[in-house]
Amino acid sequence: MTSMFRHMTTRGTPYLFLLPGLVILGALLSVPLYKVVEYSLYDNVIVEREPTFVGLDNYANLLSDSGFWSAGLNTIVFTVGSVLGHMVVGIGLALLVNADIAPRARTFFRSMLILPWIFTAVVVALNWQLLLNPFGLVNYVLQWLGLVSEPLDWLGNPDLAMWSLLLISTWRGYPFIMVSFLSGLQTVPKELYEAAEIDGAGFWHKFWHVTLPQLKPVIFGVALLDLIWTFQLFPLVWLSTGGGPGRATEVLSTLTFRLGFVDFQFAQAATVAVSILIISAAFTLLYLRNEARRL
Amino acid sequence: MNKFRLSAWTFAAATALTPFTTQAGQIEWLQWFAAEDTSGYYDQLVADFEAAHPDITVKLVTQPFGKVRESIVTDNAIGVGSDVLGLNMPWTKEFLDIGILEPLDEYLTREGNSFAAGDLVEAPLGKIEGHTWMVPLNAFPFVMHVNMGLVRQAGFEAPPTTWEEFAEQAKAISALEDGISGIGMPFSSQPPSNGPILTFLPLLYANGGRIMDGSTPDFDNPKVVETLQLLKDMQDEGGIAPGAASRTGGVDLEEFIAGRTGFLISPGVHSSAITGRNAELDYTLVRVPSNGEQAYRVHGWELGISASSDNKDDAWTFVNYLLSPEVNAQAAQAANALPGNLKALDVVREGADPTLIKQIDILEGDTPVEEMRQSPKAAGSWAVMTEEIQAMLRGDKTPEETAAAVQARWLELAQ
Repeated sequence: MTSMFRHMTTRGTPYLFLLPGLVILGALLSVPLYKVVEYSLYDNVIVEREPTFVGLDNYANLLSDSGFWSAGLNTIVFTVGSVLGHMVVGIGLALLVNADIAPRARTFFRSMLILPWIFTAVVVALNWQLLLNPFGLVNYVLQWLGLVSEPLDWLGNPDLAMWSLLLISTWRGYPFIMVSFLSGLQTVPKELYEAAEIDGAGFWHKFWHVTLPQLKPVIFGVALLDLIWTFQLFPLVWLSTGGGPGRATEVLSTLTFRLGFVDFQFAQAATVAVSILIISAAFTLLYLRNEARRL
Repeated sequence: MNKFRLSAWTFAAATALTPFTTQAGQIEWLQWFAAEDTSGYYDQLVADFEAAHPDITVKLVTQPFGKVRESIVTDNAIGVGSDVLGLNMPWTKEFLDIGILEPLDEYLTREGNSFAAGDLVEAPLGKIEGHTWMVPLNAFPFVMHVNMGLVRQAGFEAPPTTWEEFAEQAKAISALEDGISGIGMPFSSQPPSNGPILTFLPLLYANGGRIMDGSTPDFDNPKVVETLQLLKDMQDEGGIAPGAASRTGGVDLEEFIAGRTGFLISPGVHSSAITGRNAELDYTLVRVPSNGEQAYRVHGWELGISASSDNKDDAWTFVNYLLSPEVNAQAAQAANALPGNLKALDVVREGADPTLIKQIDILEGDTPVEEMRQSPKAAGSWAVMTEEIQAMLRGDKTPEETAAAVQARWLELAQ
C-alpha cells in the first residue's frame, strides 16, 4: 500500500504541475465550445430569455440557405487561392533570400521581407485600401503604364474584389511560408546539390529533383497549417471588404459575425460557427497525422 | 477552530466574488464619448458629479464607437452590463427587443428632475411600444459641408440649396480636374456599412420622404425612388467620386478635409474636425439641398439605463445630472455639438462659431427625423440598403428595382 502510494506521488507529481494549466485551458476551450454547440440547437438564443430547443432545425435551414453556400464557395476560393499565393510567393522568396550573397544584404532582405507578417490586420487592410483606391497608387501606376484607361475600383467591383482580397492575403501571409521554407532549406545536405551539379543539373532540375522532394514534409505541414488558419480568417476580410461589395467576398467567418452581431441571429451564427469548427477539425486531424508520421 | 475556518471561507468567497457584484452607490457608464475627446473632459465630468454626490461613484468605461453596440449586447447576455449606457438612436428597437433597455417614462416624470422633458430634443424620446427608452445628451443635425473654393472655381457664387443646383454644381466640380469630385458617397460594405444613413437618408428627408411606417419597412415608395434616381443621375453625370462601393465614411471625411471633394453630407459635428485639420480650407456648412422640404436627419449621443442594472435610481441620478442645463451645455461644448436639453442652447450659442450657429438655426427651424430607431434590425437594414444601392450605381438595377429589393429584404429581415 505504501509503495503504491509512493509510486502514485512520484508518477503523479508532473501531472499535478500540469493540472492548473489543464483546468484553465479546459475551461477556456470546452465551455465556449459547449455553449456554441448548445446555441446552435436553440432558436433565438441571447435575444430571448427562454429560447426554444429546435434540435437540428438550424442545420437544416442552413443547408437550404443560398447565402451559406455562396459564403462556403467564397471561403473555398479564398482559402485555396490564399494558400497557393502564400506557397508560391513564400517559396520563391525563400529561394532568393537563401542565395549566396553578402551576409549583410541577405540579413537586410530577410528582415524587410518578413515585415508584412508583423503588421496587424487593421494596418494591412488600411494600407491596401489606400493603395487600391480609385485615386490610389496602384491605379496611378497602371494608368501611367497605359494598362488601364480609367481607374478601377478594386475593392468595390464584384468582379475584382475577390482577386484584390487574395492579393492582400498573399502579401500578408507569405512570410510564414518563407521563414518555414528557409529553415527547411538549411537542412538540405549540400552534397545532394553537388552531386546533381556533377550530373549536369541546372537550377530548375535541382529545385524539382532535390529541393522539393527534401522539403516535401515541411511544405505539406505548413500548407495544412496555413489552410487551417486561412479557412477561419476573419479580421483581414472584414476590415478590407466587409464581405462586399454585395456579398462578393463574404466568407463563412464574416457570415458568422454578420448573423451574430449585425442581425442578432445568434443561433444561426452558432450553427455556421459549428460548421467551420467541423471542417477545421478535419484539417487539424490531417495536420496532426502528418506531424505524427514525420516524427 | 471550525468557526474560524467558516469565517475565513466566507471572507475568501466574498473577496473572490466582489468583482461580480455591484455595490450600492457604484455605477458603471459605458460609452464612446470619451474616446472622441482629447481634453479629459469626461474624467472631470465624473469627478464633478462624484463631488456633488458623495454617495455615488461612477466608473467610466470607454470603448470606440464601433465596439459599443457589440459590447452592450454581449455584456447583457452574460449579465455584466453597465448601468448607464451611451446609445445611438438606431439601436432603440433592436435593444428593446432583446430586453436591454429600461423604460424611462416614470423617471422622466419624477419631481426634482433638473430638466423638463419638454425641453429635450424630441427625436430620441418618441415612444416605441408605448415607452420612451433613451434621452439625448447632445444632438447634431446632418448638414452639407461645402468647399467654397471648389464651388467658386466651378463658377458658382453660393452653395446649392436645391437638388437641381446640387447636381449641377457637383458635376461642374468633378469636371475641374482629375482627382477632384463633386461629392463622395460612402457606400462601402466595410463595417459599419452605414453609408446610406449618412448621405441617402438626409437627401430623402429633404425630399419629404420616409422609409418606415411605424416599425414596418416602407422603402418602395415614390419619394425613395426619386431620391435613388437623383443619386443614379449624379453618378451617371460624373458628379459622384469614383469608387463609391469601396468608399468608407472615414475616407469620405478625409477626402473632404484634404480638399478633394466639393461637398460632404455628414453630421454637423464634423465641422470641428474639418476646420481643425485643414484651416486653409475655404469652408462653410449649409442645409442638405432640399427638394421641397426643410427636414433634416437628426443624430446625437443618447443615454439609457440598463434593464438589468441593480442601481437604477443612482443611474438616473447621474443621467439627471448630465441633462441639467449647465452640465448639458458643457457636455455639448466639449463635443462641439448642440445640447440635448434645449434650455442649454443659449449658453452654447454664446461664443459659438458661425457653423454652430447655422446648426442651431436648423435645429430650431426645421423638422428633425430619425427613423432607423423604429427598425427591428437597424444595422442589418442599412447593410442591405448599402448592398442594393451599390448594385444600382453599378448599373445592375434601376432605382425602382433597388427600392423593391430593399423592401423585400427588409421584410424578410424583420421576420
